[in-house]
Amino acid sequence: MTEFWNPYVAPGARQRRLLGVGAVLALLLLWSAVAGSGLVSPTKLPAPWHVISAFGYLAWNDGQSMLLTATLWSVGRLLVAGLLVIVVGIPIGIVMGAAPQVNAALSPLVDPFRSAPVVALLPILVMWMGIGEAMKIAFLFIGAVVYLIPMVRDAIQAVPQSYWIGARDLGATPWECIRSAVVPMAMPRIADAVIVAFSVMWTYITVAEYVNAREGLGQLIQNARRFSAWDQVFAGIMVIIALALATYQSMLWLKRRLYPWETEQ
Amino acid sequence: MSAAPPVAPPARTPPVSVVLKDIVQEYPADSGGVTRVIDRVALTFDKPGINMLLGPSGCGKSTMLHMLGGVRPMGVTTPTSGSVLIDGVECHGAHDDAVMVFQRYANRPDLSVFDNVAFPFRLKLWKSRVPAGEWRQRVADMLKAVGLADKAGLRPAQLSGGQNQRVALARALVLRPKILLMDEPFGALDAQTREEMQRLLIDLYQSWPCLVVFVTHDVTEALMLGDRVIVLSTQPARVADDFTVSETRPRSAAWQRSPEAQALEERILNQLHASPGKGQVRVTL
Repeated sequence: MTEFWNPYVAPGARQRRLLGVGAVLALLLLWSAVAGSGLVSPTKLPAPWHVISAFGYLAWNDGQSMLLTATLWSVGRLLVAGLLVIVVGIPIGIVMGAAPQVNAALSPLVDPFRSAPVVALLPILVMWMGIGEAMKIAFLFIGAVVYLIPMVRDAIQAVPQSYWIGARDLGATPWECIRSAVVPMAMPRIADAVIVAFSVMWTYITVAEYVNAREGLGQLIQNARRFSAWDQVFAGIMVIIALALATYQSMLWLKRRLYPWETEQ
Repeated sequence: MSAAPPVAPPARTPPVSVVLKDIVQEYPADSGGVTRVIDRVALTFDKPGINMLLGPSGCGKSTMLHMLGGVRPMGVTTPTSGSVLIDGVECHGAHDDAVMVFQRYANRPDLSVFDNVAFPFRLKLWKSRVPAGEWRQRVADMLKAVGLADKAGLRPAQLSGGQNQRVALARALVLRPKILLMDEPFGALDAQTREEMQRLLIDLYQSWPCLVVFVTHDVTEALMLGDRVIVLSTQPARVADDFTVSETRPRSAAWQRSPEAQALEERILNQLHASPGKGQVRVTL
């Protein structure tokens, strides 16, 4: 056994997939066994087959799909907030990365929020912005932008100085250096920051939709919880996980298509 | 530069004079005082030629080259005292008479070889001077000259170190500079590639004989390439020796073993050993 154990040798693609799928199946099996044995009350742990049927009910019932409507609302909020994060956060991060003085001024305002309980801001946002859409978008925006800005700044600062000096020497203005030498080099890591921002927003979506949402996946879960429909709560959580994973994977794929040179180095 | 004919470059470079007047450079030291890296260096370059600035590693020769190019990687005012005059005008910052080639060739990994060489023409300065049709032709000709015509569509990661340095050299020369500044450009290459690049530089120099200032800590490289060899002492850098080499290029291995070359090599090593302090030079065979 010890011969096979070397932390620096990665398993092959097939073995990795086998182990990954195996672990998921093992968990499902354990879950089924615990739920099926009757040791735990179904009100506390719904069985996998109950979750699947709840999923079916949410996906299509009475001529409409509650799940689809909820998903579209959540995705819509995420997209609006995500667009704001990109449009506001990336320029701020670039300026902080490119201008050390601006960074010195702004980083005490931005960096602490990474470890701050952003959820605790929710009541304050409700007080300021009411309980409508603006509050939800603002919450998602703040939650994600505090991660994105420092990552974009670090991406800019990670670009070797030689690119700056090389471009300056060729006659580029400082602005041209940033725009056509530094930022293009930082783009893969800026894309990483955007991917992280979207992942963070998926984790915050239920909280954002906790207060007075009439539509959305968070509201769907909240509503099911109120009626103790735990199978629906489980189904809702799984849908969010699946959507977050799909967002992550497709953005990663897009990033690799856009910046194939990053891994060539 | 705008008066240049569109395709065939003139084999004659514009006249240029570069004067370093009593250059002193000091940097703030960790201990709180200042460290003097260049001590009253006075040099004049007044005609095209390959000028080798030879000195031990860390002696301040790169700083001197940055000064000539007007770039300031350290964010410290350069020079501390003295002045750099280019065609009689004091140089205060980046200027377009000189182009630098670095050891870290700074090729953009996201751009093709062609776009890397064409990079300066994306900048306002060069866009306004060279019409699009002309620079495309110039880039194509330059790629041919450095032997990368068939690699124009590849990205830097698909090239070897020597080929990457060819890209950097092409990007500098495509601007037809009056002054070409080279900061240990071949220092990171293996011996065989370095020799190839030295031969290429000689070829390129013959078709565009500009004022080349070439920093190296390799005694052999200095003797094989230079019309003039300026030997700098260990930090703080002073001019320890300054002589011309009249042997025509390319210089053969036989010349390298000749009494003349051996005497020059000994002369350089004696000068360097005479100056106290640390720092290394290299002698390749």
